[in-house]
Amino acid sequence: MKPSGARSVSRRHFLQGAAALCGAACRRQDEAAGRTVASLWFTYGGRNRQVLERLVARFNTSQSSYFVRAVYQGDYFEGLAKLRTAVAARSGPSFSHVVGEVVPYLFEAQVLEPLDDYPGAGELGILHALGQAGSFLGGSRRPLVALPFNRSTPIAYLNGQIFEQARLAAPTSWDTLREVARRLTVRRGGRVVRHGFGCPIDWWFWVALVGQAGGRIVDAAGRVTLGGDAAVQALELWQDLVQREGSMKPPPGRDYNAWEQTNQDFLAGRTAMIWTSTAFLKYLEENAPFPVVAAPLPKHVERAVPTGGTHWIVLRQAPEHEKRAAWAFLRFMHEPEQVIEWATETGYLPVTEAAIARLERDGYFARHPNAKVALDQLAVAMPWPWSTELFRIQREIVQPRLESAVLSGANAARLIEQARALIEGQSG
Amino acid sequence: MRPHRPAAPYLMMAPTALLLGVFFFYPVVYAAYRSLYEWDLLTEPRYVGLGNYAHLIRSGELGHALMTTLSFSLVVVTGAMSLGLLLAVALNRPGKFAAFVRGAVFSAYVISWVSVALLWLWVLDADAGVLTASLRALGLPTANWLGDPDVALYTLSAVTIWKIAGYAMVLFLAGLQDVPLVLHEAAALDGASALHRFWHVTWPLLRPTTAFVGTTSLILSFQVFDVVRVMTQGGPVQATTVFVYAIYEQVFLNLRVGRASAQVVIFFFVLLVLTLVQLWLWRRKGAA
Repeated sequence: MKPSGARSVSRRHFLQGAAALCGAACRRQDEAAGRTVASLWFTYGGRNRQVLERLVARFNTSQSSYFVRAVYQGDYFEGLAKLRTAVAARSGPSFSHVVGEVVPYLFEAQVLEPLDDYPGAGELGILHALGQAGSFLGGSRRPLVALPFNRSTPIAYLNGQIFEQARLAAPTSWDTLREVARRLTVRRGGRVVRHGFGCPIDWWFWVALVGQAGGRIVDAAGRVTLGGDAAVQALELWQDLVQREGSMKPPPGRDYNAWEQTNQDFLAGRTAMIWTSTAFLKYLEENAPFPVVAAPLPKHVERAVPTGGTHWIVLRQAPEHEKRAAWAFLRFMHEPEQVIEWATETGYLPVTEAAIARLERDGYFARHPNAKVALDQLAVAMPWPWSTELFRIQREIVQPRLESAVLSGANAARLIEQARALIEGQSG
Repeated sequence: MRPHRPAAPYLMMAPTALLLGVFFFYPVVYAAYRSLYEWDLLTEPRYVGLGNYAHLIRSGELGHALMTTLSFSLVVVTGAMSLGLLLAVALNRPGKFAAFVRGAVFSAYVISWVSVALLWLWVLDADAGVLTASLRALGLPTANWLGDPDVALYTLSAVTIWKIAGYAMVLFLAGLQDVPLVLHEAAALDGASALHRFWHVTWPLLRPTTAFVGTTSLILSFQVFDVVRVMTQGGPVQATTVFVYAIYEQVFLNLRVGRASAQVVIFFFVLLVLTLVQLWLWRRKGAA
């Protein structure tokens, strides 16, 4: 039998716990009491989430008028699905952040609040290539509805130790990419124990290759054409590396699962060089048991990269006072301190001129040359078309054909031709 | 004879009928209505008649999802039933060891699908996975279990069989314990071997259990989602895009609610027909 004392202590503990919970809940209410509350739906886990939550907490303590309540909503696509459903049910957040590809779609669906007339909208000092004006063809002709948040480009990461031992430099052309991947691939007993190169079979990297081969997935009139012969060349490069030379590892899984697998292969030394997002810079540097060297993507006929990541958006249907609170937070997030903290803690690109100038002045890029590589690549960044259908073209038409060509060895030219015909059929 | 309280049965059924109506029939009817529209939740729905169904058939999406799901289900239902029956026959005996093994096998069924998927993701890693390493150590051939379009669907089938075989085993065990011992004794006295006793005594009496296990395994395998979402995301090259995952992709990734609704309606009827056919077959055999 339990001694009676134990029972009373247990009850006391229970009551104390309940009181603490009530206290915490009341404190949470108190924090926001008397302030205008804006809800933010965000889509990061891990380190990025911690950094964002820290910045939100700083905003909440830095002033007494507004309170931002940040709620995690899964990955980009889960977050978008919830956002869309919530908008339809008129119960969405005040603001959120979404991948660039869906900004035109959400704009045309009249979900996004135009921000041009908000105080200080023209004085944020956004880096042209990363803002709405530079990220989308014709982005400057439309109302300002998206502000850059976690922006990135694809980048090459090299295992510094392996490259030093092999006395090889980062590839600067497709030819040297083939050569380096081949030389760094290690076979034992008829199987590959280390691939020279790893890259997710993903539309984003393929668009980079198309650009490097001199094509653009959209023509001057804004139609999605997939980039002429460059589209086939890009796909054939992957086919060669994966199927004929066996020097590139296509990771299993799709979407961000494949990206994560690419990172794990690199960290475990199963690939000597990978292409992935600048977003993983800090993560890879901190977790690799070898020096990580960032390098720009190589060129074929020219250098080119797409941009990626997400943009802040404010929901048109949110009440006016919440929009004002959201705007106050967005202005806060575009101040150099926050831009710098976000960029240097995560690896995403700094999005304002003032932040970059301060980082230069403080010698940050001299101390962290890897961070400078991504920034320099912005000189060759390609804008996306302002297309409401691009994300569907990507998911439904192009992505399955990229996988089919690389993993099943289907004819690249025929697949691209099929994709073009389907796109024309859709737009026609 | 007039019933004493004629309304009583309807009142008793009402809560269940209400729940089924709100959470099952209404969504299906609403999906059928929405399947006639092109809609993305945000913009005004546009009436397209049977356009969504026509697109699903013309593009091959429907055929692909259906074939992938049927292949998956065929392997899973056959595998889970065979393994479940085998385990039930082997473990239908007293003793602590048999009880422990029964518990161990069934435990997989109560673990969440996501946990199972994550566990197997680790086991099946093509480079560092336990399975690949073990096969290599034994000098046996390995495969890219989740990265090869020809292999991935069967890998997911195997994981699903591993997960639900315990459930089939428990049902078969219950069925086995209902088989009267005297029938076995009589057959043994007549000189029937163990195999003959199983085939001519046990198996016919297990038919209702088998029908139940088959039907529930079929429904379960048709509803597979979690393992696909966690382990392959429908790839590689859409080799594992089963029906429910195709619906998820359509509505959450491609933002096409109308097409997803059309898939839901088709899925509902496919499942209904398959279940009816299976039950009819088993009942006919039972009657015979």
